[in-house]
Amino acid sequence: MTADEIEEYLAPMRHEYADPRSLILPALRYAQGEAGWLPPASMSAVAEATGFTEAYVESVASFYDRCYLEPVGRRVLNVCVTLSCMLRGSDEIFDHIADYLGLDGEGTTGDGMFTLQRVQCIGACDRAPCLQVDSGEQVGPLEPADATCLIDDLRDLPAPERYER
Amino acid sequence: MADQPRTLMTLTINGQVVQAAKGTMLVDAAAAVGIEIPIFCYEPRLGAPIGACRMCLVEVEGMRGLQTACSTPVAPDMVVSTDSEVAAEAQDGVLELLLANHPLDCPVCDKGGECPLQDRTFRFGPGETRTLEPKMHFPKPLDLSPLVALDRERCIACFRCVRFSQDVAEDGHLTFQERGDHIEIATASGDPYEGRFTGNTIDLCPVGALTSNPYRFVSRPWEITNTPSVCAGCAMGCNIEITTRDNEVKRLTGRPEPNMAVEEGWICDRGRWGYPALRGDDRLPGAVLVDGVGRRSVPLERALGVAADMLIPHEARVGILLGEVVTVETGFLAMELGDRVGAAPAMVRRMGIPGDGLGLMRALPGAQMDDLDHADLVLVLGGDPCSQQPVAELRIRKARRRGVPVVVVGPRPTALDASCEVVRTAPGQMTDAVVAIREHLDGTRRAIVLWDEADLAAEPGAAEEIARAMAVTEGARAIEMCADVSGPGLRALGISADADLLEAIEAGGIDVLVTISADPTAGPAGDRWAAALDGVGTIIEMASYRSGLTDRAALVLPLLTPLEEEGVLVSMAGRAQRLRPGAREAAGAAAAWEVLIGITHRLGRPVPDRTPAQAFARLAARHAPFAGMDYGTLDREGAVIAAAVATPDPRRPEAGGEGLVIVPCTPVFGDATAHRSDALASVREPTHVGLAPVEAQRLGVRTDSRVRITTPHGEAVLPLRVDSRLHEGAAYLVMGDPAVRAMHLLPVDRGPVRANVTAVAREDVVT
Amino acid sequence: MPEFHVVYRHREYGRPLTTLAEYTRVGGFLGLRDAIAMSSDDVLYAFHRSGLRGRGGAGFPMGRKASFLPKNTGKPTYVVCNADESEPGTFKDREIIEQNPFQLIEGIAIAAHAVGCERAYIYIRGEYEAQATVLDAALAETREAGHLGPDALGEGRPFDITLYRGSGAYICGEETALLESLEGKRGQPRLKPPFPAVAGLYGCPTLINNVETLAALPPIMHRGPDWYAALGPEKSPGTKVFSVSGHVLRPGNYEVVLGRTTLRELIVDMAGGLRPGRQVKAVWPGGSSVPVIGAGSLDVPLDYESLEGVGTFLGSGGCIVMDDTGCIVRACHRLAQFYRHESCGKCTPCREGTGWLENILGRMVEGRGRGDDDIRMLEGLFGRISGRTLCALADGAVMPVQSALELFRDEFVRVAHEGSPRPAPMTEAPVG
Ligand SMILES: Cc1cc2nc3c(=O)[nH]c(=O)nc-3n(C[C@H](O)[C@H](O)[C@H](O)COP(=O)(O)O)c2cc1C
Ligand code: SF4
Ligand code: FES
Repeated sequence: MTADEIEEYLAPMRHEYADPRSLILPALRYAQGEAGWLPPASMSAVAEATGFTEAYVESVASFYDRCYLEPVGRRVLNVCVTLSCMLRGSDEIFDHIADYLGLDGEGTTGDGMFTLQRVQCIGACDRAPCLQVDSGEQVGPLEPADATCLIDDLRDLPAPERYER
Repeated sequence: MADQPRTLMTLTINGQVVQAAKGTMLVDAAAAVGIEIPIFCYEPRLGAPIGACRMCLVEVEGMRGLQTACSTPVAPDMVVSTDSEVAAEAQDGVLELLLANHPLDCPVCDKGGECPLQDRTFRFGPGETRTLEPKMHFPKPLDLSPLVALDRERCIACFRCVRFSQDVAEDGHLTFQERGDHIEIATASGDPYEGRFTGNTIDLCPVGALTSNPYRFVSRPWEITNTPSVCAGCAMGCNIEITTRDNEVKRLTGRPEPNMAVEEGWICDRGRWGYPALRGDDRLPGAVLVDGVGRRSVPLERALGVAADMLIPHEARVGILLGEVVTVETGFLAMELGDRVGAAPAMVRRMGIPGDGLGLMRALPGAQMDDLDHADLVLVLGGDPCSQQPVAELRIRKARRRGVPVVVVGPRPTALDASCEVVRTAPGQMTDAVVAIREHLDGTRRAIVLWDEADLAAEPGAAEEIARAMAVTEGARAIEMCADVSGPGLRALGISADADLLEAIEAGGIDVLVTISADPTAGPAGDRWAAALDGVGTIIEMASYRSGLTDRAALVLPLLTPLEEEGVLVSMAGRAQRLRPGAREAAGAAAAWEVLIGITHRLGRPVPDRTPAQAFARLAARHAPFAGMDYGTLDREGAVIAAAVATPDPRRPEAGGEGLVIVPCTPVFGDATAHRSDALASVREPTHVGLAPVEAQRLGVRTDSRVRITTPHGEAVLPLRVDSRLHEGAAYLVMGDPAVRAMHLLPVDRGPVRANVTAVAREDVVT
Repeated sequence: MPEFHVVYRHREYGRPLTTLAEYTRVGGFLGLRDAIAMSSDDVLYAFHRSGLRGRGGAGFPMGRKASFLPKNTGKPTYVVCNADESEPGTFKDREIIEQNPFQLIEGIAIAAHAVGCERAYIYIRGEYEAQATVLDAALAETREAGHLGPDALGEGRPFDITLYRGSGAYICGEETALLESLEGKRGQPRLKPPFPAVAGLYGCPTLINNVETLAALPPIMHRGPDWYAALGPEKSPGTKVFSVSGHVLRPGNYEVVLGRTTLRELIVDMAGGLRPGRQVKAVWPGGSSVPVIGAGSLDVPLDYESLEGVGTFLGSGGCIVMDDTGCIVRACHRLAQFYRHESCGKCTPCREGTGWLENILGRMVEGRGRGDDDIRMLEGLFGRISGRTLCALADGAVMPVQSALELFRDEFVRVAHEGSPRPAPMTEAPVG
């Protein structure tokens, strides 16, 4: 993603903020949409488009869980493990998915297809145990079999045009 | 000053009745009566308190829970307890948590012995650390830059360094990354933290997380002595502290008790890491005499006698030339010596800008750097404080952060441009901006104008008009950004610039020339000087470093440097401040004042002074600007000398002829010290020529091409940098490396000049 | 008492109100119309009279907060809607955004009119991408209809709303951290005072309220503040949504009139109760940051004062229920993991203390505990963290654990000595 593209994306919203610093997070989210994470080149592009230093942009990005500074899989499987989900079996779901993907806990599959991670409460405790693919709809309550089906379906989908994470 | 009247409030701290001005924070109110409340993150020079470390928790009657004393302002009748059981337990608790992940590696830590964390742990800390958890581990120290090392394990996340980078230097390069207990200090993907002020983060760090690479493992606190002094790197006059061990300067830092009217505790990296120059290869180790026998070393004592002998013949006509960095005592004693030799009083001159046409500017009411904190407009006229008087940049930025308009006028791009209003003028055409300057001044009441001596001297017409505009602006005051460190002090003694000395030499009117830290052959019109000096019978050179004169001099007397000698320097804002010697690194060298006094004794016409203090007292009695001063009155913060009286000035001509106008630039990171100090290798600026892209295109050259630059005064071959921020029609001559001559391209009065620039060789031409 | 829908108007109508037409048909934007007809001071007074308290957690009276904003400062005034909803156990705002977004937009416009604001922001957590999409569409439709735009608050009185997406950080729900984040910085809380009302977004006066708080404004303005104030007890009037989760058979959101429903009714009658044969063991009634209470407190009426009376808080209304199959130390450890992960790192007691807390609980659960020494260490640690931090996150980390240790001391001692095996989770699908 180039600085020009980011600038073009930001242009219509610039007037909404009294300080251009506010554009950093929208810019980061937008830049992340391209590859699903923020490679150094995207980070520099965000810095250039917003007028702040790379160090500053990196420091902002690294604060937020959903800005990825390292590569992740084509799909990120976020398994909520906070209290309500735990009480309803999120640890078991997590272990099951890890098993199914051949992962030893959190991590990315060898084919780069999936990144599995534990996340904190995603505001869907009524659907516990629940899972969120990227920042899509929170799905649940999940049984191990549901999780496996979901993963199989995802595997057949092409890579998204833009990543929403 | 436009401050509101200070409302005093009465409160009680630990049973003691305390008075403090409205707005004072509890920590400061307590400190004023000797009660120490422990702090880590609090540092008012970084901006409003952030209350992050929670070290300063105290009890305030009637307020729920504990309060952070760093961010709680005093209030009438407040009852505060900083050492009650609850408060003490809280402070102890925070320390315990701070230490939870701190490696207790004090014995190998550079900060050990002068570490606030260590001190506070002794004073306020836990009897025991109960944590059993493994501490956070990071791979050992990381070079943040060649100059600054970071040990992440020791960091207590107090935010000081990061706030300095983000909010004071505003370079934006040092940040926190990650969050929670993973938080760490970092730059972008490991880029070095380089800038003009990075070393201040070391002074700010309350633990040993940020340390100076050149100082790493050099000494332990109990082996060193610290001496307060003043940096002679530029005319800003920043207060420093010199750390010495075994008679060597080991470290320079900002002054722990800053001079708030000058540098506010900040210093630039050139000032901080220039000291290795003292031990440079070209340091003059001892006196050298050239006579019928040949060239040989002589003891200093002998050399003084020889110097006297050389000056004794009463018919000799003597000239004394002072360099850009000498103390006022040296200037004064040079005049005293001048009165005692030769047929007529010697011509005592200084290398520097004559100041023609600047009389009106200089007679304007002066200001101090802290007046910027109350200004309602800051105008920077010419020059580039960011590279020539770096710490001034920090004070200007501080004003801008307050929301004050800052307007930068002149031909040079500066680091302030991105955040300030810029009025770019064509080189030599500052007059074009006078209307804009008037408009900006209009309606202000506390405008401060920082003006560049060199640029305005080259344009006295503009200087006069600006001075007039300021004179009719209510409350407007000026600070001169001097090109030479000695300039303000020597001018106050009435010592004028050297052009007429050169003419006298050329006319055969000088038999003996004494130079004091001055090499005119490397200065403006250096070629002319070199030729003229052939006609001088005897040259006595007093200097700290080898120069172009060293081989021509009949006698070389080695001098101490400003870090090693005692004396007074006058800053660009007219503040007389004391140098105090840190060490004497060249065993065979002496301070200029010692040498001068010694010669008067050998002449049999001694001055009455035995110390620089006595010399200063005498000069203060004789020279009105210093009236009433002595070393005692200068002790802590110095004192401001009286302003000059306006004198009508001759004007200088414009730069005639053909070619590109030369814009001379003398960045401190490009000066001789920066080139002599290996510590600064990564940040020093080489001597070079800067051109706008159009000019480069016209010549068919590009960055790194070598170009030949010719003026009526000389010729040089220098590397080129093409920079789109530069003005067309000009050659920006960046100089200072003692190994590369470039200054000689300028006329002796450093007036305007044009240059012819051409590509040197085929391979330098872009096709 | 049955459910009573004020902010969940969509439930009254049995379907999501996600088009402007539908929302208008059920009386949408009448509250704004009525508010605009009044002076801003009168609207502020109406907020005040309604007795509405902040629904984001702290329960501060909304009208009072709005009246703190200084007038005529020469600076813009901002309204910020806190849609960060990250408190574990809380998912009530999500439903408002998903199914009744226009009521929130209308509420924000009313607040904007009251404090003289031309641009408001909704800060929504990054994980609510699907919800943000609904809101985006609703905002666009509202703009098209002229309720946002140059004449939104009357002829020549512009007003608009910007939707700002967070990116995964619980702390950004804390109001000053939210403002930092919205200003493009790391979401680290600011020292208070100054409070956002005086120096908030970009240093300007700012009113910041939770989604549910703002969504209550349209009915308050349309039906009158006195109507609202008459719902529920004097100090805690109105309705509140409780999000019930954990070991209940019908987890979900239930909007009730404050003071009229007991915790037992909420858990048993509304949320379907527990599995047969199971008993309530522990309840965090106001999100994970409040003190836990036991089965003995189930008959407490749900309102601010009554819950305080049994040693806990109403908080955000995220009611997490654990039955007697659960291990309290495990639950505490899981929460401690949450707070450690979410600590911003700015202040010492939180940065260092939350990690330490998690370490102790972790080794206890894993059977590496040090018995009574660990219990003592825990007890010592609570005091070194709570009340000493920059923001309330760390208090929220301590309260559930500290209260649990008091309530279930024996179990803590046992686990500190013996560890705690992973219990079988509840696997029953929710009913209904
Ligand atoms: C750690 C922490 C997290 C918070 N998270 C939220 C949140 O997700 N949503 C929310 O509305 N308020 C949250 N709050 C409360 C806000 O700081 C603030 O009180 C609230 O937005 C005010 O709105 P209200 O008065 O309408 O409740 C949180 C507070 C703290 C200390
Ligand atoms: S490195 Fe030093 S100054 Fe910087 S945050 Fe850490 S402890 Fe503070
Ligand atoms: S010194 Fe007060 S909180 Fe750090």
